[in-house]
Amino acid sequence: MIITCKKGAPQAEIDKIIKEFEDKGLEVNLIRGVDYNVFGIVGDTTIVDEKIVRANPWIEQVTRIAAPYKKVNRLFHPEDTVVDVAGIKIGGKENIVVIGGPCSVEGEEQICRIAQEVKDAGGVMLRGGAYKPRTSPYAFQGLGSEGIQDMAEARKRTGLPIVSEIMGVDKIDEFVENVDLIQVGARNMQNFDLLKALGMIRKPILLKRGLSNTIEEWLMSAEYIMSGGNENVILCERGIRTFEKYTRNTLDLSVVPIIKRKSHLPIIIDPSHATGDWDLVESMSLAAIAAGADGLIIEVHDNPEYAWSDGAQSLKPAKFKQVVEKGRAIAKVIGRDI
Amino acid sequence: MILTLKKDTPKNEVERIIKSYEDRGFQVNNSQGSNYHILGLIGDTTSLDEKIIKANPWIENVTRIAAPYKKANRLFHPEDTIVEAAGIKIGGNEKIVIIGGPCSVEGEDQICRIAQEVKEAGGDMLRGGAYKPRTSPYAFQGLESEGIRAMAEARKRTGLPIVSELMDAEHIDEFVENVDIIQIGARNMQNFSLLKAVGKTKKPILLKRGLANTIEEWIMSAEYIMAGGNENVILCERGIRTFEKYTRNTLDLSVVPIIKEKTHLPIIIDPSHATGNWKLIESMSLAAIAAGADGLIIEVHDNPECAWSDGAQSLKPEKFANVIKKGRAIAQVIGRDL
Repeated sequence: MIITCKKGAPQAEIDKIIKEFEDKGLEVNLIRGVDYNVFGIVGDTTIVDEKIVRANPWIEQVTRIAAPYKKVNRLFHPEDTVVDVAGIKIGGKENIVVIGGPCSVEGEEQICRIAQEVKDAGGVMLRGGAYKPRTSPYAFQGLGSEGIQDMAEARKRTGLPIVSEIMGVDKIDEFVENVDLIQVGARNMQNFDLLKALGMIRKPILLKRGLSNTIEEWLMSAEYIMSGGNENVILCERGIRTFEKYTRNTLDLSVVPIIKRKSHLPIIIDPSHATGDWDLVESMSLAAIAAGADGLIIEVHDNPEYAWSDGAQSLKPAKFKQVVEKGRAIAKVIGRDI
Repeated sequence: MILTLKKDTPKNEVERIIKSYEDRGFQVNNSQGSNYHILGLIGDTTSLDEKIIKANPWIENVTRIAAPYKKANRLFHPEDTIVEAAGIKIGGNEKIVIIGGPCSVEGEDQICRIAQEVKEAGGDMLRGGAYKPRTSPYAFQGLESEGIRAMAEARKRTGLPIVSELMDAEHIDEFVENVDIIQIGARNMQNFSLLKAVGKTKKPILLKRGLANTIEEWIMSAEYIMAGGNENVILCERGIRTFEKYTRNTLDLSVVPIIKEKTHLPIIIDPSHATGNWKLIESMSLAAIAAGADGLIIEVHDNPECAWSDGAQSLKPEKFANVIKKGRAIAQVIGRDL
């Protein structure tokens, strides 16, 4: 960490600053320049909060050199983490995982039917929302526990592991018991109580990137879960908020190589929420695979026009199958499989 | 175009509004609901300005149904436009075009040497900046005319057509005479005088997307050039401004299928400016090809550490050759060549 101190800071002030850091077990290097004094802080600076350091009126700027995360950092964990979800391995050089299913569970019959279609198309896992974070309080809020039970029934019939979103700490037991991969949605990416609670369990967590969160903030949220002891974290990019209006969000595919450099965690892409338009899902899926993503999570519905939510971004099963097939061909070019 | 009137708009006002559009040749559909009064305008609404319409205090909202562009619109030109630049065809099902070269021309020796490397690696065209739009007025501003001459020399020696950025209409003659594709940079995407001026030439124009411009604004800038009579427009996505700091900009690859749906123009991707980081270029290049892009424009330098500008985002020639090789394999999967 580099701290820039205004010229003219009294020696007593400089000594005080040095002592504060030394008391925390950090080593301080002082460089006296013409216009500035600069401190180099050496040691584990993840414990230092820039905002507190800057509260000192003599300190002009604080620049972090080391990343503020440890457990997610590839520097301290060079091998890829491979997360095992009910026997399906995600990350490293494993097969690219394709997760499909409807935005919302609409009933046992619907989810079991779509699960079978997802499986027939080559999908390896089933998604489905039972607790739904909807912008409008008047929109369908999900079937709740009933939806989770329906998902479990679909798993029983097809053998596909299931992914569903948790919205509050109070439902953790239900999810641990019934769900194979617990999703933390974009809007809860910085719900720190939820992250801490999920850190205490051992279920794999699918952590979506927040709508307006930087990659670093996203990795810090993964750090919350991992620092609690749960190292089974999969990251999921689902588009960020920009000024562009033709798409629901802007898919930031550069996260794939960035996450792979900065972290050892698997990264999957959600082209459905990123674009909001089923017409764009195929090309963005192929692009994600070419970029090196470890998986895709795609909304699939057998009757999108009548879906209870997100119909416009859902693929029909036949189209989903086509994406899986083309994706496999791309995957082979870069030395992977689906 | 749909005009929503305020609920209590007086009858004579409604009639006056309807008449004003009918007088201009529009058919007006009048539909009155219990809470809203709606007018549907049918006809060529591209010449209408929403902002002027909304100046009428009785008009609450204006919704455009038809796109505000005509010449660029695929609706009126269903076949792909293939732009030919000095014998190289860009767009449609033609080969994916790879343009490589340094950010700045640094002299005849340098550009001729790099041109040869670009050619040997499999590049089809040479890029090089002679007039440079730099954020700082103290940064290197380009070799200008001398740079253009050095580019022309590199073309003579290697046979590669050349692309360079035009910053002002005063240099148009120089560019028409010497350059094969005239680039309009991101910062000039809405320099309308410049767009009108290049619209009067017949040279192919590479129109980069502005840092904070929507796809619609970008297509409207293409429309400016085409409306002037120059239909040889190639669009180029180079990343947009977002809150993310790990990358220089955020590459918006969803533009590829969107541009192909809304327009008939070729679209190429600039992963160098989009990411600002040479380490991310390979994966973003492969992703762009998988998404269906018609070409790539990549910064290549044989000594990036000593480049006069943008060294951090420049690929060394051997890495560039590698991107082309892998890109070709991806292209073949989606039924194209490179």
